[in-house]
Amino acid sequence: METGEENTRKEETVKLISAEGFEFVIDKKAAMVSQTIRNMLTSPGGFAETQHGQVTFPEISTPILEKICQYFYWSLEYSSGKETEFHIEPEITLELMMAANYLHT
Amino acid sequence: MDGDPELVGGLVGRCIDAATASAESVERWRRQRRTLDRLPSYLADALLRRIIQRRILLYPSWLEIFQNSAEEIDLKGESSVDVEWLAYLGAFHHLRRLNLANCRAVNNSAIWYLSGMSNLKELDLSRCSKITDAGIKHVLAIQNLEKLHVSETGLTSNGVVLLSSLQNLNLLDLGGISITDEALCSLQVLTNLEYLDLWGSKISNRGVAVLEMFPKLSFLNIAWTEVTELPYLPSIMCLNISNCTICSIFYGKGSTSARLLKLFGIGTTFVDADKVFSIMDTSHVTYLDVSSSSICNLHFLVKMDMIEHLDVSFCGINDDSVEYIAKAGKGLKFLNASNSKLTSQGIRVLAGNAINLETLYLSNTSVDDVALSYIALMPSLRIVDLSRTKIKGFAYESRDNLEKTFSLSLLQNLSHLESLNLEDTLVEDEALLPLVFLKQLRCLYLKSDLLSDVSLHILSPLSSLTYLGFRNAVLSNSGLLLFVPPKALHTLDLRGCWLLTENVFSSFCKLHPRIELRHELDGMVPIDENVSGGSTSSHRTYLTSEVRSEGSDGCFVDERIKYSMEELLGLQLSSLSTPALHGLNMLPKELKRSKMSNHISFLNNLRLLLCIKKQVHTEELLEVQFSPGSTLPLHDLNKLPKELKRKVEEALAGFGTKAAGPEVRPLRRLANGVGYHVSSIFMDGADLTAALPILLPQRPQTQVNSPSLINPTFAHLVRY
Repeated sequence: METGEENTRKEETVKLISAEGFEFVIDKKAAMVSQTIRNMLTSPGGFAETQHGQVTFPEISTPILEKICQYFYWSLEYSSGKETEFHIEPEITLELMMAANYLHT
Repeated sequence: MDGDPELVGGLVGRCIDAATASAESVERWRRQRRTLDRLPSYLADALLRRIIQRRILLYPSWLEIFQNSAEEIDLKGESSVDVEWLAYLGAFHHLRRLNLANCRAVNNSAIWYLSGMSNLKELDLSRCSKITDAGIKHVLAIQNLEKLHVSETGLTSNGVVLLSSLQNLNLLDLGGISITDEALCSLQVLTNLEYLDLWGSKISNRGVAVLEMFPKLSFLNIAWTEVTELPYLPSIMCLNISNCTICSIFYGKGSTSARLLKLFGIGTTFVDADKVFSIMDTSHVTYLDVSSSSICNLHFLVKMDMIEHLDVSFCGINDDSVEYIAKAGKGLKFLNASNSKLTSQGIRVLAGNAINLETLYLSNTSVDDVALSYIALMPSLRIVDLSRTKIKGFAYESRDNLEKTFSLSLLQNLSHLESLNLEDTLVEDEALLPLVFLKQLRCLYLKSDLLSDVSLHILSPLSSLTYLGFRNAVLSNSGLLLFVPPKALHTLDLRGCWLLTENVFSSFCKLHPRIELRHELDGMVPIDENVSGGSTSSHRTYLTSEVRSEGSDGCFVDERIKYSMEELLGLQLSSLSTPALHGLNMLPKELKRSKMSNHISFLNNLRLLLCIKKQVHTEELLEVQFSPGSTLPLHDLNKLPKELKRKVEEALAGFGTKAAGPEVRPLRRLANGVGYHVSSIFMDGADLTAALPILLPQRPQTQVNSPSLINPTFAHLVRY
């Protein structure tokens, strides 16, 4: 319940950092689409990530992380009933699949 | 793995979809890499599985990329799999499971490549008929093999004998191979065997004695064999004796108690059922299927306290046997008593006892509406099949009281009801109304020419409904287009709705792209019949095909042949040109059964003024339609055939309409009496359209779209 209140209390953002050090600042709500990030941000033990609101992904390249972020936002829209396609270029499918698998998305 | 939620929805699933969209997309990511080493094996397996399923694996060389990551490959039924494929698969050193079942091109030289796959634990070569005794030698090299399926291959007893060197085998499927007692005897060194399938073999009573040598054997299938007696096998948990003639099972009891949990005796002839079951220890049996067997009484159930699943369909049991089912009752969750002599009285006995029943099949029995009140007493029911019964959906309160009660409303007590089958019953439009309160209903199967547009519209509020079978109904094009499908609906089966024309399907699909339509005229109809599992026991194709052939009627009887071209044209035009009246369902009905077919010529631009569903014992539908411009429709009675005219006059007299005038009271009574079929009424020259608001809730379309209006309507329907 506590986390639910937190979410509604203030508009939070998190910073996702790619293997190359590129930073993506996105809404916490969007990042929570990923089960892995959700766990990091909400686990009571307090990952370093929880405090600083930033997560580094040394395994995920910048273009893939960008696509992942796009998916987070698309997923929010989709769950609210908006029906659009999420296009994935065949070339990146495998990289994206591995990243998505890691992020439990 | 198919059920893995991550692979179904989510981004991973979308990636797999995108990666396997076409052969070209595979080629585009494949060119970038030589192996998929970093890919977790379950993702690699899922990816490969999808490529195979979508039939876009153009070249066996594409397999190479998976060779270091794949652990399971299912190529079942792929006719293109041949030597070349196997040559690539032979290099898959991590492979643990390989399914080549039904790969017709796989032959002895192809499976030579399997001999080096040392990690392989499970191999399915079922129905690869080109594999013979010579080829099976290659398999012998896979010493770690634990599960081997070679059913219906070209193997003989000689080849089966060789399998005795695979000491780690715990599963051996030899179904359909005509092995002899001697061959079975040579397998007794396989003491790890837990699962042995010998259906259709030549083994006899002499051979099955060897089975005592398998201490771990828990599954045994000896269906379609000559075996009549089976020794006591304490480790057996699941036994299949289908289509055998059985004198005794488990004779000569040992000291340890039997653990038999499941018994399949489909089509089995029991020489003396009571004796067979008295010898066996059936106290642990939870699953018993004796459908189509020679069993005609169920005395033996007395000892089966643990029974959960009971199938006694096609056995000819009668109401007397229900007593025994009832005694076994409390734990019973599944009962199939279809195609038996059961009546509503039998269900009465069941009701108080089988309180935990979740699935009940009563298809093709003599149960009628009375049974519904007993069925309603089984609160856990999730699946109910009442197809081909005498259910009408309404009953009269008593012999003297001719007011209807709508018996399907009793089903509202079943708060878990998910699937209801009312195919080929006598249920008519209005009787379906109570179904709108079954909010959990996910599958509904209807098939009857007594149903029309109205029924379809009634079903709109069923928010959980995903599958709707609405077959053989008198559904018009406009009726379909005005249908507001339930939110969750994904399949609408309209097969046999003969009034529909081709163009309506594309219009409907445009309106509701998520819904899959099924109809003989729609090119998109899949051949897959799985979903029409509404008819009972679809899993038993091999046994009762003759009985169920009607369940999957592939051929479409075009009902239009019953009518002349002129009549059909009339129908077509009327359903297109007067959409407002589409809900009034009498057009085809009257065609079918009343004497009004000679009035069809003016159906075309008919103003439908009044129709009456007369509530008489005969249930005869009485419908009166008058041509446009006729302000004194009662005068037109003279135009009607004599008999019909008399009935109309009677009906009107009954409602006190002789008193003429737009009085509210007789109107309301008329509305109630008629049910919901009134759209506008002219009487004795007085236009009563002004009085329509009273009647409006009766109109099916209004009902469909606003739940608030349903309740009052429904209230009176129930009352009647």
